[in-house]
Amino acid sequence: MRQSNTSVKGVYAREILALVNPVEAVSPELAVAEVSGLFLNPAYAKVLSLPVVENGRPLGVISRYRFMDMYLKQYAREIYGKRPIRDFINDKPLIVELDQPLAEAALYVAENMQFPLTEDFIITRHGKYLGVGFVMDLLKAMEARMRANTEELNHAYSRLKSSQLALVQSEKMASLGQMVAGVAHEINTPLGYVQNNVAIGQELFTQVRDVVASYEALVDNLLNGQASDDQIAEQMQQISEMRAGFDAQEMLGEMQGLMVDSLYGINQISELVMNLKNFSRMDAAATDLANVNDCIESALNIGRNVLKNKVEVVKELGELPKITCSPSQLNQVFLNLFTNAAQAMEGSGYLHIKTWHAEEALHIEIADNGKGISPENLARIFDPFFTTKPVGEGTGLGLAISQEIIVQHGGEIKVESRIGEGTHFHIRLPVVAVARHEPMAMAA
Amino acid sequence: MSKPTLLLIDDEERILRSLRMLFFMSYNVRMTTDPYEAIRILRDEKVHVVISDQRMPVMQGSELLRIARETSPATMRILLTGYSDLNASIASVNEGEVFRYLLKPWVGEDVKSVVAEAAAIAEASFAVQSVFAEHKAPVVETNKPRVLIMDHEEDTVQTVREILGARCEIVWAHNAQLAMEELAKQDVSVVISDLMLGETNVAYILKTIKQLNPQTQCIVVTSFNDTSRLIELINQAQISRYLPKPVSKNILARNLETMLERFHVLQDQPALQQRQAVVQITDHQEKQRSGNFMSLISRLRARVAA
Repeated sequence: MRQSNTSVKGVYAREILALVNPVEAVSPELAVAEVSGLFLNPAYAKVLSLPVVENGRPLGVISRYRFMDMYLKQYAREIYGKRPIRDFINDKPLIVELDQPLAEAALYVAENMQFPLTEDFIITRHGKYLGVGFVMDLLKAMEARMRANTEELNHAYSRLKSSQLALVQSEKMASLGQMVAGVAHEINTPLGYVQNNVAIGQELFTQVRDVVASYEALVDNLLNGQASDDQIAEQMQQISEMRAGFDAQEMLGEMQGLMVDSLYGINQISELVMNLKNFSRMDAAATDLANVNDCIESALNIGRNVLKNKVEVVKELGELPKITCSPSQLNQVFLNLFTNAAQAMEGSGYLHIKTWHAEEALHIEIADNGKGISPENLARIFDPFFTTKPVGEGTGLGLAISQEIIVQHGGEIKVESRIGEGTHFHIRLPVVAVARHEPMAMAA
Repeated sequence: MSKPTLLLIDDEERILRSLRMLFFMSYNVRMTTDPYEAIRILRDEKVHVVISDQRMPVMQGSELLRIARETSPATMRILLTGYSDLNASIASVNEGEVFRYLLKPWVGEDVKSVVAEAAAIAEASFAVQSVFAEHKAPVVETNKPRVLIMDHEEDTVQTVREILGARCEIVWAHNAQLAMEELAKQDVSVVISDLMLGETNVAYILKTIKQLNPQTQCIVVTSFNDTSRLIELINQAQISRYLPKPVSKNILARNLETMLERFHVLQDQPALQQRQAVVQITDHQEKQRSGNFMSLISRLRARVAA
């Protein structure tokens, strides 16, 4: 501890040391006339005041200004010339200790210096006179320091911004990954029966072709009258055996049903793919004129995998004007809120989604009857990295990013919650887009 | 002989209609979207094979299959799902004790052959009085059962020792080589194994065990979480339990008792051994390792016999 203190002081000492001008100190007993002569020394041209020191301790300073003041009086040189300088000094000089931090010294000097600037300050080491410092030098050093600090801050800021970007990206990838996995799984069901139906159809097709070929051969033989009765009997026997093992009419009837199912399944698959496309809006502009109700529907479609069998969704979507927004970002906000709601439910529950248009703003209310959020957690839910989910399950960025997106849209998001009763989010978005300071870099 | 009965459960009726077309020629196909209806059918009818979806509104497939186990123990249970999530797969082992874990979309011929195999096994099980009855009179031990623990840490071994005491011969193998040697030496009743022994993935050993001795029961105790690996272990190793590490002593004890008992049932009723028949190893490298392991064993056993 002590070690580090000393070394820190060492650093400060170097800062002040750079300001020291080794001006020879004046003894307090020196006569006024002699001291005034010292100011004529060209080496002291820059010096505003001379230090007066006794036994190494600074007593005060005597400035050029003071002499000017004195010599304005008639016969001043004759009256005061022989008196010791001690009687005329400013005995409350500005004193800076060598190991004082630069900023502290600058602050002290700035607060205590007199205007107009008539004196320099004294630098001491352990209270003993070391030299004189010029106020302008001190201020310049301070300015240089500030400039360096600003650069450092700028650097830190840009580093912070890029890491925030990476985090936003990782949250987006996490929710996107979860979503894609869900949709991929959902596609497996229609894909399962469509693929199976087509395979069955293919097999049936071969069987039917064989049956038709047998019928045709029989009909040909009957028509051209060249086949023997035995041959025809054999063919008929073959056909009746075929019919016993395979009821073409029934199979074709069943197959027809499977075809209807398959078309339905293919529609389902295209719908799922369409949902994914709409949700991510990979092929659309980042900012667009869009209806927020459509964003809600899109998020519900994508979240279906999480909500299904668990959450009863009640929609009360009012008539809304289109607004200029980033639909993919709003989709992300809604999906995040819906998924959170589903996860907050033990067993099953409901999700009430209501939208309306009032006073030049859109309002979106999302209420669930999940387990609710305790007041201490509620205060932190928009904080980055705050999560109540087990490690690895949530990034803790979902709501932080949602809030950021809403704020970027010029809106606000509020939450109310009661333990055991549920949670209620209210989003307000202005109809006329508010100028956004910086577009978020996560637009899909 | 009448056709075997196949029961299909899925909340999507198009899946049911599609599957039915694969099977109606050779099976008496019963199907429903309602798990409770399925349970009623299992109770009232002789069902050879049940194929269930996992994710359904009123009940998870693994839960339905657990009920099926109690209601109709001889029925062979198959899960057919489009969702491969870890919890579902774990439940299908521990609760459903499924014969096969199949994924949607499926290949018709594969499902047909699985169902045919399962139907034949079920038919044999119906002939046996008690299928895996879990509350039987205590078995009189002739030889001490051998329990092999494959784990590179000693914690599990310690817990097993506390549970079993001197009732069983407890063997600890902390690497793959030792495990193979112990398995070669003498048959084992129950294997308790992690999936990784140090750097070695020992899935190939577990997948070979049923070929060495179909009665041996495998309990996997691991912190390794990979759904597709687990599905492989269900189909290719017929592991009996999958317990996440760290496992509590009570849970391990309960499962260990069940498996020791099952080992004896299978010893008494060889017809039931087929219920844990496995499919061929698919991974090329594992197949090769398993082959090497098998030939090592036959060489060793030939030497002992000579």
